[in-house]
Amino acid sequence: MIKFLAIVKREYVQRVKARMFIVMTVLGPVMLVVFTIVPGLLFSLKTGGDTRLAIVDQTAGGALFEPIRNSILQLQVYDDKNLGERIESQVNSNTTRRIENASQAFSAGFSIERVDPTGKSIDSVKQGLNARIGRDELDGYLLIPPDILTNNDSKPAYYGRNGGDMVTTGQIQRRLDNAIRRQRLLASGVKESEIETLSKQVNLQTFPINEKGEEGAQDSGLARFMVVFMIAFLIYLTVLLYGQVVLGAVVEEKETRIAEILFSSVHSFKLMFGKLIGVSLVALTQLAIWGVVFMAISVWGIAALSSRGVQGITVPSLPPMFFLYFTLFFLLGYFLYSTIYLLIGSMVTTTQEGGQMAMPVVFLLMAGLYMAFTVIRSPNSHFAFWVSMIPFFSPITMIVRIVSQTPPMWQILLSLGIGALTVVLLLWLASRIYRIGMLMYGKKATIPEVMRWVRQQ
Amino acid sequence: MDNNNISVKVDRVSKTFGEFTAVRELSLSVRAGRIFGLLGPNGAGKTTSIRMIVNITAPDTGTIEVFGQKIDSQLQDRIGYLPEERGLYKRMKVGDQLKFFGELKNVSGKDAEGRIDHWLSRLKIPEWKNKKAMELSKGMQQKVQFIAAILHEPDLLILDEPFSGLDPVNVELLEKVVLELKLSGKTIIFSTHQMEVAERICDDICLINRSQKVFEGSLREIKSSFGRNSVALRFEGGNGVLADTSLVSKVDRHSDETEVLLAPNASAQVLLRRLVDSGATIEKFEMIEPSLNDIFIAKVTENS
Repeated sequence: MIKFLAIVKREYVQRVKARMFIVMTVLGPVMLVVFTIVPGLLFSLKTGGDTRLAIVDQTAGGALFEPIRNSILQLQVYDDKNLGERIESQVNSNTTRRIENASQAFSAGFSIERVDPTGKSIDSVKQGLNARIGRDELDGYLLIPPDILTNNDSKPAYYGRNGGDMVTTGQIQRRLDNAIRRQRLLASGVKESEIETLSKQVNLQTFPINEKGEEGAQDSGLARFMVVFMIAFLIYLTVLLYGQVVLGAVVEEKETRIAEILFSSVHSFKLMFGKLIGVSLVALTQLAIWGVVFMAISVWGIAALSSRGVQGITVPSLPPMFFLYFTLFFLLGYFLYSTIYLLIGSMVTTTQEGGQMAMPVVFLLMAGLYMAFTVIRSPNSHFAFWVSMIPFFSPITMIVRIVSQTPPMWQILLSLGIGALTVVLLLWLASRIYRIGMLMYGKKATIPEVMRWVRQQ
Repeated sequence: MDNNNISVKVDRVSKTFGEFTAVRELSLSVRAGRIFGLLGPNGAGKTTSIRMIVNITAPDTGTIEVFGQKIDSQLQDRIGYLPEERGLYKRMKVGDQLKFFGELKNVSGKDAEGRIDHWLSRLKIPEWKNKKAMELSKGMQQKVQFIAAILHEPDLLILDEPFSGLDPVNVELLEKVVLELKLSGKTIIFSTHQMEVAERICDDICLINRSQKVFEGSLREIKSSFGRNSVALRFEGGNGVLADTSLVSKVDRHSDETEVLLAPNASAQVLLRRLVDSGATIEKFEMIEPSLNDIFIAKVTENS
């Protein structure tokens, strides 16, 4: 026991004391913020002034110009409730929506001019505008066909220099759509005051029913999906960050030629196990620190938002039992993937070699995530059952099943059992390959050689 | 030799790696409280034999007993091993490192502390305790590795090329420590191909070549079995004489004297007369024992 603890302690203390660990622990949350928020901000930022837009309204009397202009310039002001909704949707939405929403918040301005086509051929009007765009006096123009209110297939057109600015064209598209639909409704006799109420979105409420036939609280399933995604992300992140560390820990004694001294004192299985536990504790330490910081920020953030009158930010609420499952399957997932790195480390002589061999591990992890999408749609299918039993997929797929439609306990336990057994098996295999490989004078092992070592007594 | 005095008994042990036989039918006995030299050229099978004794690999056939028991992981704690392939954790402080190696041999951190201080000052590197290994010179690292091998006060100490790369001052320092350990009753297996060192400190030797044992016995025995058939000379002139192969089979010219190995059936008297006859001025003419180096080379070439 002294020996095992000594190994765990050394791996842990050496790493936690390292400057790299401290730097990463501090930089981690900063980088998370930078990578999730900054791209959205950058995308929404429009440098250089307003978009100069001309509207060529071919309808009789140019009656649509005003409504379109008002819509594009967003002249109606948001009331407080609206603002709350917008922030809520921003917090809970996925990335693309978030970028769009953020861009609305940072809305680039438009300056709009009217071009009256009466008395000129449409081609000459276009020619004139094209030339102005060419001279950079204008950024683009909208061509509104004369029959736009009466013909549903009639299509307005946008001509502009920068077709790649999806944010701007997207804004124009949505706002134009708004304005024209409104005008069509007005034209067909709907009262101005009724338009708002009639075109309100219909929201579907979903209520889960569990295996005992009990009805649960309203739940869109989004929270559940988020939780699955979080677990997958957490495993992914930890494996990505710590896989290389595990690999490095195994290779360290080969590179520093200490392995032989260790083997004269301790069995290789104990050594491998000690390394795995030591590095895992480092990972957990770091995650715990991040977790606390994240929680603090969330609590503070939600409090700050609600104090400004923002309501309805849903914190996913799940039965406490689920948290036990998450912990178990997260640990299982982490150990499963770490032992693969351990195995790779046992075969190679330098970390660089190992890094190359470790590439496919990430694919394995991704495969599990993709299967989660299939499983979440039919969590009790045969497919779902089998993939939740396969060790390298089970940490993600089983969690999906648990949150969407909790399977019988024996299945959960079986899945955990198979996973744990795989970890031990991989650990044993790694320690064997490591010990025999080390005696082969530090050359890189080929797969057939490794197979032979495993069989060798 | 009665069994109580045998620390390590290797009995008809063989080990193959694929096609390659590293050790073939090796038997040897290491007597307690003595320094046993395991000698042989590179690739002879020394390291593989040692690894089997320390229980890093298992023999394919044959048995190994240490202190009268079949070797197992418990016994490993009574063995100290300084492998030829050795290193240190670069970023770890010397003191922490030694404590770790001690714990791997079941020595508690508290016990280790005092011993570490004692040995660091004994080997004249106490000020390096709190330095990282990467700041140490190669020789200092080697001393730290040596301490790691003896920190748990093993009854059996196995040293594989312990002095390679050390300067003469440090070689002498470590030699002294090794001899002290022997006097305190430890058994030491000393593997090397540096014959001068082996000659200085070994009581018994075992010579292996090409995976097999060539000779085993006390240093005295092997030397006397070779007889006094070498002559140390210091002379001027009369050079042609040493070229006569019926008289001399080997000539080693050192800077100030010449060592010759007499040809079989040639006598020292004849050599002396021939030298005198050729008009050489002789300052020194002494019958000496063959060096272990000569014996080694003779045995190895004879064996190949």
